[in-house]
Amino acid sequence: MIRLPGPLRERAGQRAAVQVEAATVREALDALDRRFPGMRFCLCEETGRLRPYVNVFLETENIRDLQGLETPVPDGATLHVLHSVAGGVGAVA
Amino acid sequence: MPVRRTYPKGTVVLAVGTKRGLFLLTSRDRRAWRADGPHLAGRRVFHAVLDARNGARLFAADNGDFYGSFVRYSDDFGRTWKDPVRPIAFPEGGGLALKNIWIVEPGRADEPKIVYAGTDPAALFTSRDAGRTWELNEGLQRHHTRSRWQPGAGGLCLNSIVVHPTNPRRMWVAISAVGVMRTDDGGQTWTFCNKGTRADFLPEKYPEFGQCVHRLIPHPGNPDVLYQQNHCGVYVTTNAGNSWTEIGGNLPSDFGFPMALDPHHPATIYTVVEDETRSNVGDQFTVYRSTDAGRRWQRLTRGLPKGRTVRLGVLRAGMCTDTHDPCGVYVGTNTGQLFASRNRGDSWKMIADYLPPIYSVAATVL
Repeated sequence: MIRLPGPLRERAGQRAAVQVEAATVREALDALDRRFPGMRFCLCEETGRLRPYVNVFLETENIRDLQGLETPVPDGATLHVLHSVAGGVGAVA
Repeated sequence: MPVRRTYPKGTVVLAVGTKRGLFLLTSRDRRAWRADGPHLAGRRVFHAVLDARNGARLFAADNGDFYGSFVRYSDDFGRTWKDPVRPIAFPEGGGLALKNIWIVEPGRADEPKIVYAGTDPAALFTSRDAGRTWELNEGLQRHHTRSRWQPGAGGLCLNSIVVHPTNPRRMWVAISAVGVMRTDDGGQTWTFCNKGTRADFLPEKYPEFGQCVHRLIPHPGNPDVLYQQNHCGVYVTTNAGNSWTEIGGNLPSDFGFPMALDPHHPATIYTVVEDETRSNVGDQFTVYRSTDAGRRWQRLTRGLPKGRTVRLGVLRAGMCTDTHDPCGVYVGTNTGQLFASRNRGDSWKMIADYLPPIYSVAATVL
């Protein structure tokens, strides 16, 4: 399951969470993008890298501290998409 | 179903892009103004424009803090917004990633579905369906000097787009800090148009490219005439950019960002220049006007603030005129004040305060 932050829920039909089948984080984001086209571009730059202020957590671990987008996703795990604490952004959170 | 928002014919609409959203100011008489917004609240709206060709479609360069940049559009004056089906993006795996969208510019009057956008990294994007899909101009990206382009302080941004009104093969773009470029074959190839413009910050003062052009605007009646406010002076070309003549004359500074002109009297041009602190020169916030295409500049101060603590700046898209005669002139500051003149700049009134820092002001008469 992927849990989405407030600003992205409109793109997912106001869903806070989306069920996907995936073996890695990359596959999970690809699946999310197939279901809601354009979602990957909100999370990743054209270079393929995760956007600088976007964080994806596998349960409580930031995937940047694991294997990045190639991090394996166990069955039943939850991915949390959150943006960085960057100060004073309550209006968009 | 929400009622579609409309305004009476003749209403002046100011689309004001700010660091934290888009505001619309409207007036029937240019005396009393009504503010509406913020739309796209919290977003960095670098530029917004109401495209009268497409049923008053409102385009906004929406640079979110986290989840990417998009040109969004609204057909109900900001009440609801649509996302492009194919947004502005560089080719995947090409090494470039979109940082910001700086400008959205409607195309020619007889091509109502065509809209252009300029970005950082510097690139020109075209929509042929009024904003639903966008495509990269490959010719500009393939320019043989592309790898040597350097950013200005604001980034490597394509900040101005000017189309030739009748020749569909000719247009100009301005990039900071690259300079002005022109195509004569519909965007397949581009040539530099920087002869006569200075780059004081480079070892060579008059290079082929590397100039930091801040704003490029067209003459409404003579497509061979364009004006630019540059990092190093104000210039005019009378030969479509083949060469430029400096017209800074008696301006107190070379440095400024915005530029505008009176569409009914196009020898009347406006700028705001700044000192080395990037705010007004001296204690008086001043708009400068020339009625003779830059030979002599007048200080316009009536109604504008003065004082030891007055330190205002105006960004490159922060000034515009409307199409009335006498024209209205509008100036938004990077500290959130919006000043308006309904008499070609002779006198001014603050029509909004406490806005977020203003990035852009664009006027449309409905």
